[in-house]
Formats: sequence, structure tokens, C-alpha cells
Amino acid sequence: MTFAPLATEIFLLSMACIILIVDVFLRDERRVLSYALAQLTLLAGALISWSMLGNETQVVLHGTFVSDPMAALLKTSILLVTVGVFMYSRSYLVERDIFRGEFYVLGLFAVLGMLVLVSAHSLLTIYLGLELLSLSLYALVAFQRDSAAASEAAMKYFVLGALASGMLLYGISMLYGATGSLDIGEVAEAIALPGEQGIILVFALCFIVVGLAFKFGAVPFHMWVPDVYHGAPTPVTLFIGSAPKIAAFAMAMRLLTEALGGLYGSWQDMLTILAVLSLVIGNVIAIAQTNIKRMLAYSTIAHVGFLLLGLLAGTTEGFSASMFYAITYALMAIGGFGMVILLSRAGFEADRLDDFKGLNDRSPWFAFMMLILMLSMAGVPPTVGFYAKLAVLQAVIHVDMVWLAVVAVFFSIIGAFYYIRIVKLMYFDAPEGDAPLAVSPDMQIAMSLNGLAVLTLGIFPGGLMAVCNAVLS
Amino acid sequence: MENIYLAIPLAPLLGAIIAGLFGRQIGRAGAHTVTILGVGISFVLSLFVLKRIAIDGGEPFNGSVYTWLISDGLKFEIGFLIDNLTALMITVVTFVSLMVHIYTIGYMADDDHNWPSHSKAGAPSSYQRFFSFIALFTFSMLMLVMSNNFLQLFFGWEAVGLVSYLLIGFWYTRPTAIYANLKAFLVNRVGDFGFLLGIGAIYAFFNSMDYATVFAAAPAMVGTTIEVFAGTEWQLLTVICIFLFIGAMGKSAQVPLHVWLPDSMEGPTPISALIHAATMVTAGIFMVARMSPLFELSTTALVFVMVIGAITALFMGFLGIVQNDIKRVVAYSTLSQLGYMTVALGVSAYAAGIFHLMTHAFFKALLFLGAGSVIIAMHHDQDIRNMGGLRRYMPITWITSLVGSLALIGTPFFAGFYSKDTIIEAVHHSQLPGAGLVYWMVLAGVFVTALYSFRMYFLVFHGTPRMDDHIREHLRETPWVVTVPLILLAIPSVLSGYLIDPVVFGDYFAGVLHVDPANDVLTGIGEHYHGPVSFVLHALGGPAIYLAIAGVVTAWYVYMKNPAIAGDVQQRFRGIYKLLVNKYYADDFNDAVFAGGARGVGRLLWRIGDVLIIDGLVVNGSARVVGWVASVVRHVQTGYLYHYAFSMIIGLLLLLFWFVYMGAGA
Amino acid sequence: MGFERFVFYVFAVILVYAAARVITVRNPVHAVLHLVLAFFTCAGLWLLLEAEFLAITLVLVYVGAVMVLFLFVVMMLDINVSPLREGFVKYLPMGFVVALLIFAEMFMVLGVKNFGAQAVAIPERHGADYSNTREIGNVLYTDYVYPFEIASVILLVAIIAAIALTMRRRPDTRSQDPVAQVAVRREDRVRLVKMKTEEKSG
Repeated sequence: MTFAPLATEIFLLSMACIILIVDVFLRDERRVLSYALAQLTLLAGALISWSMLGNETQVVLHGTFVSDPMAALLKTSILLVTVGVFMYSRSYLVERDIFRGEFYVLGLFAVLGMLVLVSAHSLLTIYLGLELLSLSLYALVAFQRDSAAASEAAMKYFVLGALASGMLLYGISMLYGATGSLDIGEVAEAIALPGEQGIILVFALCFIVVGLAFKFGAVPFHMWVPDVYHGAPTPVTLFIGSAPKIAAFAMAMRLLTEALGGLYGSWQDMLTILAVLSLVIGNVIAIAQTNIKRMLAYSTIAHVGFLLLGLLAGTTEGFSASMFYAITYALMAIGGFGMVILLSRAGFEADRLDDFKGLNDRSPWFAFMMLILMLSMAGVPPTVGFYAKLAVLQAVIHVDMVWLAVVAVFFSIIGAFYYIRIVKLMYFDAPEGDAPLAVSPDMQIAMSLNGLAVLTLGIFPGGLMAVCNAVLS
Repeated sequence: MENIYLAIPLAPLLGAIIAGLFGRQIGRAGAHTVTILGVGISFVLSLFVLKRIAIDGGEPFNGSVYTWLISDGLKFEIGFLIDNLTALMITVVTFVSLMVHIYTIGYMADDDHNWPSHSKAGAPSSYQRFFSFIALFTFSMLMLVMSNNFLQLFFGWEAVGLVSYLLIGFWYTRPTAIYANLKAFLVNRVGDFGFLLGIGAIYAFFNSMDYATVFAAAPAMVGTTIEVFAGTEWQLLTVICIFLFIGAMGKSAQVPLHVWLPDSMEGPTPISALIHAATMVTAGIFMVARMSPLFELSTTALVFVMVIGAITALFMGFLGIVQNDIKRVVAYSTLSQLGYMTVALGVSAYAAGIFHLMTHAFFKALLFLGAGSVIIAMHHDQDIRNMGGLRRYMPITWITSLVGSLALIGTPFFAGFYSKDTIIEAVHHSQLPGAGLVYWMVLAGVFVTALYSFRMYFLVFHGTPRMDDHIREHLRETPWVVTVPLILLAIPSVLSGYLIDPVVFGDYFAGVLHVDPANDVLTGIGEHYHGPVSFVLHALGGPAIYLAIAGVVTAWYVYMKNPAIAGDVQQRFRGIYKLLVNKYYADDFNDAVFAGGARGVGRLLWRIGDVLIIDGLVVNGSARVVGWVASVVRHVQTGYLYHYAFSMIIGLLLLLFWFVYMGAGA
Repeated sequence: MGFERFVFYVFAVILVYAAARVITVRNPVHAVLHLVLAFFTCAGLWLLLEAEFLAITLVLVYVGAVMVLFLFVVMMLDINVSPLREGFVKYLPMGFVVALLIFAEMFMVLGVKNFGAQAVAIPERHGADYSNTREIGNVLYTDYVYPFEIASVILLVAIIAAIALTMRRRPDTRSQDPVAQVAVRREDRVRLVKMKTEEKSG
């Protein structure tokens, strides 16, 4: 059966359409049904793709779609992370009167785009998956129509995203011109042949790397990140900052290692530049931020630097370290932004650093969860962030790029400052307002699970790490 | 079986967590029930393991239960090595711990009086906190002794140190307690530093943290030398063993790292019994015994161990004679006995060392708990000059303390006799350089031990009562939760000596403790061993028994019959007395040289290094630079779309330029 | 061959000119019209490449539908031109340098050396009976069915997004609701008030 490997995608698409229709007939007070259906869809989808983890690698639909263990794992993670995103989003949307079915439908389509991206085996599919993802995200950023900041952010995201897509597409067309094929396997074969095409390929590679770097938000293609993170409604920020990073990782794997593995020398150098710049700019500028969404945006940039380190190592160890990093970072990111949602209430965005003052007095448990998340982002054991960083650094050191590891460590120490500052604000400063913390039960569960997952994965990283290793070998 | 092994340390941990985190909710009864239950479970399981491994001769277990991470082929994992040594240790630890838990119910019942009434410190859950700590300690100690690798050993090592620190400073409103726990912490740091260096050296040269791997590879390392200081060649194994032993010196309070132990008596008495007498301080002894395959390969290290032990055994004993605080007397006796154990290790009589560790755990816990019982009755007055004649008021405490004292001084047929006499015999047989002198030192120690033990015994339980009337009116035997543990501890204080047959001279430790045939003294003694009674008869031919009797008689004469002599001697040997009262000036020396010197260096570094260079230039300077860079660079983030787009184009341009143009040019 | 090359250059020059005018003319309506011209010439170039179907589609869809819609929008919006062009001159030299550099690099790579006739084989000519349309049709629903489906989902998302972002009921609009008008009852509009008849006074 040709379509069996596409089960997750087909299921998701069908359900998205069904929710779209069901939502039309729902009255506002029953809107929660759309939400529930979306969550069920994601969970079922995660189950389906998890069940495919052990399957053989299969390329179907005339070489446009590949189903391999890596895809299964990444799809499962994307779907599960999105479950978390939706959980955090509900109360925020309800309080701001934008709890509408389209949010979840667009979210599901974005997820579909990511799944397409993860399973792409053709340059065309990669491009289309990316567009599907991006288009949904543009719409989501603008979702809060009355907010000028959101509209501005959406506009910037859209224009810059279009520019980046254009560059990517240009690179892809060059690649097509040079190799005569869109199929990733055939492209790789064509590159492996000795020929005079080297310079075209590098030329194409430059454009492709730009497209990738934009999606990751790596310096100097990061300018959109702080503005979009800041302007978008927080649940959307949460979404953009988490699952798409996993998809971007998959895209990089498909494009760089599978299609352009022959140009390893070139893209390693490019990624090195991007990674170092991201580590420097991300960590240093984050210090100057007073808005936590912006701060987390720069922290994302810094984390992307780390993620790229694993990729540029070019070894299976490096890839699996990067994959581990991407998945666990998504987990930390939804927690971090989730905390902003948790502290917000109708008419009040808790996105200033000062809003975290004295959180420990208001709620010791959530302060503790935030502590775990911040320590994890800073890379302090026994949280998972430590292990992710360690694995990446190990991979880099094993390919004899010790200087790079030193740079990474140096700047993550600088970066630790702004994470620890949050901890200081939470535990040692007096709270500013005395508004009670009203947190819905599903939010409480989500946040507790999230924080504990970060801690548990830090204590038992072996399982996930083994899976990451297994799907790549 | 693996689950049983896992349950042994985890049961107390669970109790500790519940009592610690939910102490207020479950109340006092809940806290002691849950921790006693936890420790009780692990005691029962320990007995089961002891029976299975030691008595039924089951296969020792060596395996990991959890791998934390694998870094560069080096495994960091939690694993258990369950053999006869471990089985013995966990049984002793859990038994004493269980007794102490029960005893604590009585001892801490009116803990509220120990806190300043006007402050809220301590109350309302200090009682629960205490139980949580001692259960946590049990967990840590079990992790330490059950470990099969150096990392977990170090974890347990530090964890018991931490709990010890917390418990010494349990009454944290008292400045003396804070001083004592800081001192214990700092002194242990010195030892731990050595210990860590030793573990680091093992990792560097053996590339493994696993006992079995290291022990297997050790013989091949004989002859390997390293350069510790430029130009000096050291035997690798000697360096490792001495570093490890420095760790043991810290934890087992050997001279000169002994200074923390007497001060640790600031903590509540149950922990003095559990941690600072019976279990934690023996961790060093246990560790050296566990590392016997390494120590056996370095004669230098063995001599070092033996000499340190002998110095501790004799000179700490002297200090016991002049102390007036009941707990400090017992504390110095602990130091002295730890010295005996260390001597046993030094002469390769590991089995004797462990055997003495076991018997000592019972009778020293008994003595401490007896002292605690006296302290309860005396309303927390600890000065033995204010006591006297207590045997009429507290018969059970009196009898059990007498049993403990008799065991301690090595009275025939009591446990201490068998273990201590074996050690003395072992030293006698040892061929190590310096063993002759050490033999005389340990013999002298026997006399000193008897003297201070019975000085305390007579002053507390006999003679005329010297306490004030108010206290005397309220003198009565302590409740059953206190006396039952005393009785239960008194039994093994007598009977455990008869285990000498299998433990020391039998093959109980075969394959566990490694002894080089050239150093093997116990086999030699064992040839003359024909049962406990004949051992006593044999001992009658040696000087030890007579020295002990002489000590008791001297104590009786000086402190009961003719108390004037004591003052007289004190006057005549004023110099020596002053030396002893000031504990050889070790504390003053440490205060002046190490603490003062460290403060001086610290102040210097603070002025120049910290304030000037680090704060001024590096931290604030770099922070200022980073802050400045950040504030400048953030202005690049203008918010203008075309700036963003332009930066992307520039990025692309640079990539193209770099890779296409330069690549083509090259 | 000669004539074909001539036609190519004619189209190419017009295309470049039209494209340049799109971004330089002041009047947006003129810009759109230049864009239409660019599409037309582009379609001409595609015809030279024997891509007849695509050329026709470009004219029909883009020129016929998209651009007309665009014109409507541009003409309905009253865009003030001058502020948009502020700074144009200021940034021009910088932009020009960057453009030149990128152009130089592209020229270096995309020149005859790499994409010339000796590097890439000239596609073979097809006869008059060769149907471009049929070829596309053959692969669109077979080889490329998956990308095709994704593209359709993208369009669906575009529709949803457009509706979600723009459709709303403003409180201040004076729209009629026919359903409400039809369903109205007499009681909603007319209230009968019973009053006492006043007595005739005197």
C-alpha cells in the first residue's frame, strides 16, 4: 500500500478539514469542542507516527516522500510539542476573546507543513512544506487582529519570510540546473560524480543555507526573531519558538546531509560562521533585554547556535546530539513561554522581566518550575539542557574543533547570566503587584508536566538519547 | 535480588523525603513512624541479604542499576557490589540506625526546650526535620557502602558529610553549633580534596571508575611512577593510596584531621552515636578495607596508614582523661578506637579492622546512647563533675553503660576484647618497618583507654551525687524508647565478639579483602587460635589484659578512693595537663595558621585580586563591556523592515563572496 | 536560428525594461501596467522555449485575473506616493553597490562557462504534434501528485487565513439582516398601551 507511510499526514489533513467544518456549526460557548478535537488529532497523530518508528525506510510517491525512523521520531515530537502548545494557549485565547476554531485549524495546517518537511524526499516537497508551514504561521502571528504590534510582526515576518523563501527557491533551482533532478537521492548521486559543477553547487548552497538560516533564526538572518516573538500573541510565539525548530532541523538534515552531503566541507564552514555569530549575538544581546519574550527570542538564537554546532560536526554523533537538542529545546521553550502565559491574565501581558519579581512568594511551585526551565536553558545539571549541550560539545570536540567548543562554552556562560537573573528576580525580589495568580487546571498540569519532564529527562537522558542515536544509524 | 538491593537504600530515602517535605502535614508521630518503617525495612532486608550472601554462601552481586551518562567511554553509573563485606556493613549500619531512630523518639521528645523561646527558629517541625536527616543519612551511608564504583562512593562520601554537617548544626541558633559544623565541614574538605585527587588519579591512569576493573588492572601498575613535583618520581599506587587515605583521615578523624570530631558533639546525642561513632566515621576504615587490593601493592602507604593510626590511638586517648564533658570523653575514645582500626588496616589485618569496626559500632553507640540517657536525666547538663551516684536512679542505663565500658576497654569475653586484642596481636606479628614502636603505642593505648573509660564511669555512676537538689529530685530512669535500644545494643556488645571465628580467622572475607601473603599477619595468629576461650587464655600470657586492669584500678583509686591525688597530679604536671586540656594546641594552631593564614591570604587576594582585578576589571569590567556591546548592538534591531531585509542580503552577499568568489579564486 | 535570437533579445530587453519600471515609476497604476507588460513578454519567452501551455496560463491567470484584481485594489486605495520614496536617494548608492556585487557573483557563476551549450545539452526539438499540455497533464497527477496536493492545501490555508483575518462583524456597520427583518413580529414593533379614557370635563 503506497499510502500507508503517509498515514499521519492524511489523518491530520482530514481531521483539519473536519474541524474546519465542525467549527462553523459551533456556537461560541461550545468552541472548546474544536479545541478538544484538535488535541485528539494531535495525540492520535503522534500515536500513528510513533508506531512507525520501527519501520524500514521507504520512499514512495515517485520519490517525493520518505518514511524513515528519523521522520517518525521527529513527527512524534512535533505533534507532542504542539499538544503542549495548544494546552498553554487555551486560557490565553479565551481571556482575550480570540478563542476561535481557526487558530487550531491553522495550527494543524502548520503542523502538517512541518510533517511534510520532515518527510520530504524531493526539493519540491521541502519547498512546499516550508511554504505551508510559513503561511500558516504568518496568519497565526496576525491572529490577534486588534493588536497593532501583532500586525506589524506579521508583516515583517511575511516579507522577510518571502525573501528567504525566494532565496531558498533560487538555490533549489540552481541545484536543479546543476544536477538535473529534484529527488534528494538523485541530487546526492549527481553531486558525488566528479565534474565541473562545483562552483554552481556552492552558489546554490549559499542560497539554500540562507533559507535554512532564516528558518532557524541564525545570525545574521535572525532579525525577524525578536520582533515576531515580541509582537505575536504569546501562544503563537510559543508555537513558533518550539515545534518549527524541530522541523527546521529535519529540513537541514534532508537538504544538507542527505542532498548536499558531498559539499560537507563548504557547508560546515558556513554553519560554523552562522553558529559562532548566533552564539555571540544571541547571548550578548539577550542581556540587554527587559522584555522576557524578547529575551527568550535572543536565547532561541543562542540555542540555534548550539544546534548548528551539532550539525556542522557532520558525524552521526553530532546529528543525534543536534536532534536531541532540537527536541529538548522545544520542550524548554514551550515551558518558558508557557510561564509568560501563565502569569498573564485578561488585559495584562506578563512579558516584562519585572513581572517575574517575587514569583516565589506568589507561587513557590511555579517558581520552582521556572527555576528548572531557566537552569535547563542555561545548561545546568541535572536538567536536560545540560545534557543536550554536553552531547553537542562532545560531538564538536570529536571532530577536533575544540576552539568552537570553547567559544560555545564561553558564550553560554555569558548567557547563564540572564537566565539566572530571572531566578534572582523570582526568589529574591519582592513582588510588584499582589494580584492573585489565577491558573486554570489544565495549565497547571501542563506546566508541572513540562517542568518535571525537563528534570526527568535530565536525570534519565539515556532513553531519548538512545532513540536519537538509533533513528540515525 | 536486584530490587531488594535497590530497596535497601531507597526505603530510608523515601522515609526521609516524606518526613522532610511533608513533616508539617504528617506530624511528629507520622514522621518517626515513616522513617522508622523505612529503616526497619532496610534492616530486615539487610538481614536477608546477610543470610543469603554470608551464611548461605550466595554469589556476590556486582552490577549497575542505573547509568547516568557515558562520557568518552567512561561510565557514570549507580551500581551495587554486594559481597560479604557489604552485607556485614549494611547490617551494622541499619541495625544501629534503627536503634538510634527509636531512641530519638525519647531524646527529642522535648526538643522545643532546645530552641530559644522568643524566636520561631526550629519550631514547629524540628522534630520531623531531625528524623528526615537521620533517615537521609542512613540512605547516604548505605549508598556509600553498597557502591561498586568510585563515583558513587564519592557521592555517598559527600552525602554523609553533608548530613553530618546539617546535624552538627542542628540547633542552628547556637553559635557553638554553627562553629562546630563549619569546622567539620572545612576539615572534611581537606580530606575530601585528597580523596578527589585520588579518584582523579585512578580515572586518569585506569580510565575506569569501576572497582573490579581498577583492582584487576592495579597489579600491572606496580612500578609506574609519576612526577608529583618536578624532578621527583613517585610510585603511582603509593600516591593514589595516600590520597585516598587522606580522604579517610578526614572522614575517620585521624590526626591531624581529627579536630572536628570532638566539636561535632554539639549536635544532638543520637547523631553522635549514629554518625560520629558508629557509622560515618568508620567510612574511612571501610573504604581502605574495600581498597585493600590497591593498598596491598604499596608498603609505603601501609606504613603511613599504620603510623597515623597509632598516633591517633594513643594521643587522642590521653585527651580523654582530662575531658569533663561526658560526650567529649566518649568522642575522644571514638578517636582513639578509630586509630586502632586504622592501625589494623596498616598492618594488613583488614579483617581485624572491620571486625573492630563492627564491635565498636555496637558498644560505642551503646555508650553514646547511655551518655544521652544520662544527659536526658540530668536535664541536658553534660559535665561529669556534676554527676555521681547515678546508678541508684538509673539502673538500666548504669548496667548497659558498664557493659559498654567493659567492652571498650577489652575485658575478656566482651566483644571489644576479641577485636582489640586481635589488632594488638596483628601489630605484634607485623613485619612492617616501624611496627615495633607501634606495638608499644597500642599497648599503652590499652591502659589509657581503661583509665579514661572508668574515670568517666566512676564519676558518673558511683560516688556521691554532686548535682543540685532540683535535678536530683527529678532524677529517674529514662522512658522505654531510650532504654530498649540500650538493651538491644548491649547484647551485641557482648556477643558479637564471638563472631571472631568466621570473620577474622575464617574465610568470611575470602575473595573480598585482598592480603598479600607477605603481609598476612592474621593467618599467623589464626594458627594459634582454638576458640574464644582459649583466645582469652592465650591473652592472659600477654600484657594487654593486665594493662587494662591496671587502668581500671588506677581510675578507681584516683577518682573514687583518693580523689585528692587527681588534683595533686594535675598540679604537679601542670605543663602536661595544660597541653592536654588545650588538645595539644591543635585547634589554636589551626586557628592561627590555617584559618588566620587563609583569612590573611583571602584578605590580600580580596583586596588585590577581587576588588581590584576581578571586580574592577574582569567582572564589572567585562560585564560593563558586555552590557555596553549589548546596548549598542540592540540598536541594530531598529524595527525597520528594510534594515532587516538589507541585513539578510548582506549576509547572503558575504556568504557568496566568501565561498563562491574565494572558493573559485583558490 | 537568427530570427529566433532576434525575437529573444527583443522580448528580453522589453522584459528588463518593464521590470525596472515596475519598481521605479511613481504611480502605482503605471507600475501594475508595467508588470502586465513584463508578464506578456515573459510569456513570449516561454513560447520560444516551447512551453506553450505555461505561456498561455501565465497570460490567462496572471494577466487576465490576478493583475486585473490588483489594478482594482491599487486604484481603490489612495496611496500617497511621496513618503514611500523618502530615503530612496539616500540608500541608492549603497543598494547599488550591493546589487552590483551580487550581480557580479551571479554573472561569474551563471555565465556561459557553466550553463553554456557545451556544459548543458540543448534540449531536443519536438515536432508540431508534440503536446506540451498533455505532457504536463501526464505528470501532474502521477509523478507530482504529492506536491500538487500540498499546493492545494497551501491554497486552502490561504483562503482560511484570508477569511480569518478579515471577516468580522464591526459594531458600527449599518448592514441589514434580512433574516431578522423577515422574522420580526408585530409585538416587537408595536406596543399597545391601554389608557383610561379621559372624562369629559364639564
